[in-house]
Amino acid sequence: MIQLFHVKKAYPGDAPVLDDITLRIEKGEFCWLTGPSGAGKSTLLKLLFCAESPTSGQILVGGRNIGRISQSGIPFLRRNIGVVFQDFKLLDNRTVLENVGYALEVLGASDAEIRERSLKRLEQVGLQRKASSLPRRLSGGEQQRVAIARALVNEPTILLADEPTGNLDPSLTDSILQLLFDANARGTTVVVATHDRTLLTRYHKRTIALEKGKLVFDA
Amino acid sequence: MRLSRRAALNLWRAPLPSLVSVLTIALSLFIGASFVLGLFTARSLLTSWGAQASVTLYLDKATPDAQARMLAQQVRLQEAGLEVAYVDRALALSRLRADLGDLAGALDGLSQNPLPPSLEVIPRESLPPAGVRALAARLGQLPGVAEVEYGREWLDKLEALGRGLRAFAAGALFVVLGAALLVVANTIRLAVYARRDEIEIMKLVGATDGYVRAPFLLEGALQGLIGAAMALGAIAAVQRWLLPRAQQAFAFASGMSAPQVLPVHAAALLGMGALVGLLGSWLAVARFLRT
Repeated sequence: MIQLFHVKKAYPGDAPVLDDITLRIEKGEFCWLTGPSGAGKSTLLKLLFCAESPTSGQILVGGRNIGRISQSGIPFLRRNIGVVFQDFKLLDNRTVLENVGYALEVLGASDAEIRERSLKRLEQVGLQRKASSLPRRLSGGEQQRVAIARALVNEPTILLADEPTGNLDPSLTDSILQLLFDANARGTTVVVATHDRTLLTRYHKRTIALEKGKLVFDA
Repeated sequence: MRLSRRAALNLWRAPLPSLVSVLTIALSLFIGASFVLGLFTARSLLTSWGAQASVTLYLDKATPDAQARMLAQQVRLQEAGLEVAYVDRALALSRLRADLGDLAGALDGLSQNPLPPSLEVIPRESLPPAGVRALAARLGQLPGVAEVEYGREWLDKLEALGRGLRAFAAGALFVVLGAALLVVANTIRLAVYARRDEIEIMKLVGATDGYVRAPFLLEGALQGLIGAAMALGAIAAVQRWLLPRAQQAFAFASGMSAPQVLPVHAAALLGMGALVGLLGSWLAVARFLRT
């Protein structure tokens, strides 16, 4: 599903953020991407959803070489990738339902379909009753659940999560991760970047560790 | 349909940046349009001054009366829209006598009338200085015409004034419109900047550039239209209440009417407003789409 061949990412004048990364993540797999701050986790995720492009090397996502995708082709690749961020990235002036439905609006779905599918996702994350609330009225954990519902609403084949529990109270971590495990159980390939090592010991999944831009562990 | 709804919803949810954009566009268009209308007024004033010039054709002294009258008729037939009056030698002398007043006695010593007969030609409609000059040149070619007089010096000055005014107006209009576009584009950019998160999220969930851009363009055009309508209202108010007072205050402007804002002018202003809003939004969003 995801393959990287000798990928390097460097900014002029700085040491490489990622250096010679080669790895393969299978379809339907769940894996942790870990390492200390500045190890290159977020940059690697950005490469996967084309927010950045590699300095050298090849990246295949769903069999497509993303280095060869034109600028106008990037939105279509992103429609198959759900992304969750530490800071949720919700629109404050839109309701929870509108935030989730946004991803479907872009696909040109009908109003009825947007409403039906968004409510279904909100039900899955336990927030159906908050559909008409504004995000700022929600707790951090609830906002992250909205972000996950948005990332999953168009049933992407890949879900990338960048420190999804980083801003949350530890008591909420399990419920958020459970949503990601559920998505994985439904067949979505899930990559979760985290620097929280307790998660890795609590949930035994494949772990890819980066340090100073290099791949130091994969098992 | 959804696009219009999104644009309307965005305007409703963030009214302040939209209001600033609308007011900026309104003010810019008001200044630009006032400038153009002022220019039209100045041109019509110049034309009316030019129209006051008449052309006098001095004929050979020996021209018989009948031949001079025929020539006057020929001018009337050849050139449409002219008042042609024949002034015979006797009439010319009596006019001179009247003009001299107390000094008229000086003419008594003359053995014969030294004045030639002439044709006084006055355009019925306003003619620009160049038109008066061309008319004089054509009439000067007629047989029997010894000399043509049409206030050449006055017309030259008027023409130079017109040229200067045109050059100044073109330069100033360019500066005013350029500055207005820059201000509008920057104001819209600020409004778009406030919504950069929205653009980022739209791109994140797979929106194409066109999809991201469309509501912003629609909003920009709508803001431009509203701004232009406000500018039109302001111009109408100035014409109705301010100009009549100005005409009372300044003698040179009396009798000069303010140019009418016709439906075609209003449509042009509305179109320009929409275009400025559209262009400003395009520039502002393009910047965020690149990043």
